[in-house]
Amino acid sequence: MSTAKKGMSIERKSNLTGWLFVSLAVIMIFVFYFYPMFQALLLSFKSGTGMNLQFTGIDNYKRLFSDITFITALKNTFIYLIIQVPIMIILALFISVLLNNSQLKLKGFFRTAIFLPAVTSLVAYSVIFKYLFATDGLVNKLLMNIHLIQTPIAWITDPFWAKVTIIIAITWRWTGYNMIFYLSSLQNIDNSIYEAARIDGASATRQFFGITIPLLKPIILFTSITSTIGTLQLFDEVVNITKGGPGNSTLSISQYIYNLSFKYSSDFGYAATVSYSIVVIIIILAFLQFKLAGDDK
Amino acid sequence: MKKFLTVLLASFMLLTACSNNTNTANEGGGNTAAPEAGKKQEITVWAWDKVFNIGAMERAKTVYAEKNADLTVNLVENAQADIIQKLNAGLNSGTTKSLPNIVLIEDYRAQSFLQAYPDAFFALDEYINASDFADYKVGPTSYDGKQYGVPFDSGVAGLYVRTDYLQEAGYSVDDLQDITWDQYIEIAKAIKEKTGKDMLTQDPNDLGLIRMMIQSAGSWYLKEDGTTPNLADNAALADALETYKRLMDAGVVKVVSDWSQFVGAFNSGEVASVPTGNWITASIKAEAEQSGKWAIVPFPTLPNTPSSVHASNLGGSSWYVLNVDGKEAAGEFLKETFGSNADFYQTLVTDIGAIGTLKAAASGEAYSAADEFFGGQKTISDFAAWTEQIPNVNYGMHTYAIEDILVVEVQNYMNGTDLQTVLSNAQTQAETQIR
Amino acid sequence: MSNIKKVGMYVFLSVCAFISIFPFLWMLTSSTNVSADVTKGRILPGSHLFENIRNLFETVDISNALLNSAKVSISTTLLSLLIASLAGFGFEIYRSKARDAVFSILLLSMMIPFAAIMIPLFQMFGKISNVVPFVGIDTLSGVVLPTVVTAFLIFFFRQNAKMFPKDLLEAGRIDGLTEIGLFFKVFMPTMKTTYAAAGIITFMSSWNNYLWPLIVLQSPENQTVPLLISTLGSAYSPDYGMIMTAIVISTIPTALVFFFMQKHFVAGMTGSVK
Repeated sequence: MSTAKKGMSIERKSNLTGWLFVSLAVIMIFVFYFYPMFQALLLSFKSGTGMNLQFTGIDNYKRLFSDITFITALKNTFIYLIIQVPIMIILALFISVLLNNSQLKLKGFFRTAIFLPAVTSLVAYSVIFKYLFATDGLVNKLLMNIHLIQTPIAWITDPFWAKVTIIIAITWRWTGYNMIFYLSSLQNIDNSIYEAARIDGASATRQFFGITIPLLKPIILFTSITSTIGTLQLFDEVVNITKGGPGNSTLSISQYIYNLSFKYSSDFGYAATVSYSIVVIIIILAFLQFKLAGDDK
Repeated sequence: MKKFLTVLLASFMLLTACSNNTNTANEGGGNTAAPEAGKKQEITVWAWDKVFNIGAMERAKTVYAEKNADLTVNLVENAQADIIQKLNAGLNSGTTKSLPNIVLIEDYRAQSFLQAYPDAFFALDEYINASDFADYKVGPTSYDGKQYGVPFDSGVAGLYVRTDYLQEAGYSVDDLQDITWDQYIEIAKAIKEKTGKDMLTQDPNDLGLIRMMIQSAGSWYLKEDGTTPNLADNAALADALETYKRLMDAGVVKVVSDWSQFVGAFNSGEVASVPTGNWITASIKAEAEQSGKWAIVPFPTLPNTPSSVHASNLGGSSWYVLNVDGKEAAGEFLKETFGSNADFYQTLVTDIGAIGTLKAAASGEAYSAADEFFGGQKTISDFAAWTEQIPNVNYGMHTYAIEDILVVEVQNYMNGTDLQTVLSNAQTQAETQIR
Repeated sequence: MSNIKKVGMYVFLSVCAFISIFPFLWMLTSSTNVSADVTKGRILPGSHLFENIRNLFETVDISNALLNSAKVSISTTLLSLLIASLAGFGFEIYRSKARDAVFSILLLSMMIPFAAIMIPLFQMFGKISNVVPFVGIDTLSGVVLPTVVTAFLIFFFRQNAKMFPKDLLEAGRIDGLTEIGLFFKVFMPTMKTTYAAAGIITFMSSWNNYLWPLIVLQSPENQTVPLLISTLGSAYSPDYGMIMTAIVISTIPTALVFFFMQKHFVAGMTGSVK
């Protein structure tokens, strides 16, 4: 009987400890995120300008469906998501595995170099990208010199190529960032596992797919979800490099929200509605990714 | 454990040390110090651009200090886009702590603020006289019959041209006086042929040229009431777009996508002309080597619109007073400087090249100075003369929203869709977006 | 590894490195040029570095901004790492259905764009200001407070905690450590690389944070570096050489933080805690 009592109190103690560890964080997030999010939700049912917001029920949500600009922004954001995120994750994984090789020289240099874009100021690199990718810029000159193209590509002023430029910019900027996450986690994998596999005759590729990927699954899932969120909330690159143009061909949803709030007539209500549309999409996508990863043993 | 407790302690200490910089005296709008006679009062001003706008305010401070030494004027510089965000946040925050007393707002945007936040601004009818200022500035700065803004800089537009390129192509500056855009295109083609230089730059995301064109004809994206979109049946706009297309198709335009590229193009001599507001003068003069090679001619007119004159505007802003503590002091301050002081405007011209819109200032000395950079032309008096001709339009609340719609439709037009379809699409979209 | 593979590897990495560094190099050379040359896209370095630096220090109070940014970023990073790792540890090591549910809800907070909650957050701080001024509007503490805890960081620590060998904890318990002792003496040292990565990321995002400091801070004395640079760029005739110099100066701290922390990624953590 006394053992049963002891068992319960250990469990309760464990439960209490668990809550103690997480409570500060949980409280702060509720105060600084969920309370404003709730306010924003209320706002999404109102419309108007500035301080003159009237309650309009679900009109705003209905408006989403017939809003050409919103639909364009949605399409663009999805294109970025589907193309850019997988490319970046695979690239970052590949590079970090290469850099994790103990025989490699100049590791420190490569690591710093590839991470540098994440540190480079947004203002600086967007101006640089605009110069490099201008119709008479270096990239075109280079491509023409090696005869890959005949006429210069309008990287920034053509609706299709502008999207490509954005994807290149995002990949350039964030690959190194994600590489850091993988590198730090790769360090936590015991080398002896690889030793054993090698003794067993497994090739490098076999080791990669059989050991590295499964062990890194939690981190890959992490980067995949955070990159999804990051791309769906894409703002900086689009606003600074192409300004959403030409026309609306690179407009992102976050940029549209910003325009609605500050550039046009300050309809904070509708802006909140558009924001919540992103939230819904992210929830669905995150849920799918968690399920796909077969998370939680 | 100890190590980490120290870390925790250290960061808390750091945080409280941060609070040294809390709002002690500088509370701008929240200043509750009672303005007793003779006691020091403080006001805060928000503006962008250190040289031009803040520079103007600094000189206003000096001038006013001679009249009333009890007023402390704090100048806070922020990027223009940042000011818009901060102002919106502050006006929505339910507290006046984060608001300035005076803020600079671009004319295209002013109506949005005045209408979105009624009661947030302080009417200045007792401090300034609207009729003392250029007509075209009065519309954007007033609302509901009251005058809210003190008109500041003139965005009067001019056509800056490289006289040396003109000469090479066989033209003289006189050939560009009072021309239409079609004549401009002809000259552009000749220049391209003889010198290989483009005539101007254009950014597909910025329809400033179109805005200037339609304002020169007394028209705007919105009707007189400032809220109804005026796109589909707007003859001036149609003319402007057709002219724009002819210009782009003539192969004389260098496409840019960034302000620095815009400036870089004329600094490096890649374009022969710059049709824009007079505030570009400082950037043009930055390339000292080009001195003597530029002239400024009147803005061209639309070829098929009789109401189009040789004068237009791009940009320009005005000072607004917020309805918070210190508003009377702010009003007085503006009244004695920007509101009426013609001598002050001379200083603005000579020191920073800022052309105001106070009618009385135009007859001052500085306004008739000759500028060597422009071959001895009396640029300021030219600009002042054109300022008086700028047609008055109501920018309304939705200028930027409509421009974003137009930017997309203009792309379609450039790619072959016919004009009527493009304009009626734009009209429909504008009507749905604007409620 | 075959020689061809080796060469291929080095070539690939070098190309990646070059593409990554090039814009940064351009940034460096631009800070030595005059504004007009920068706008023309000049790649070669010039001789105006000192002039640009001098102009910068005379035009704006950049040393003050650097100090403000440092205060904000350092305190944010230290507090963030502590609170988020405690939570990540708690969620993973003391798993329970209730806590897992709470965790999933927390993740929601990552999904809303900041622009949407910016104004309500600001309104909240307006009210806070009336009660407790030293963490309210126009204070550096006000900048730090909402950014200290993010679901992102908790998520990161939790995922890494999944890779943490739990038997180490059992060993610690047998040795008589309390639960919190386990955290500080077993978990933290083992997860050094995780803390290093999280530290870099948090410092960087705090240093470059723009929107929230923009609307919370009012007085010029409280400006942080990104705000300063934005102001410089908004002039009608911006001095691009000077702006680039400011950008280089503002990039140095994050580059340094990365440089010092990156040694913790070096292989050598194998079989660490005995």
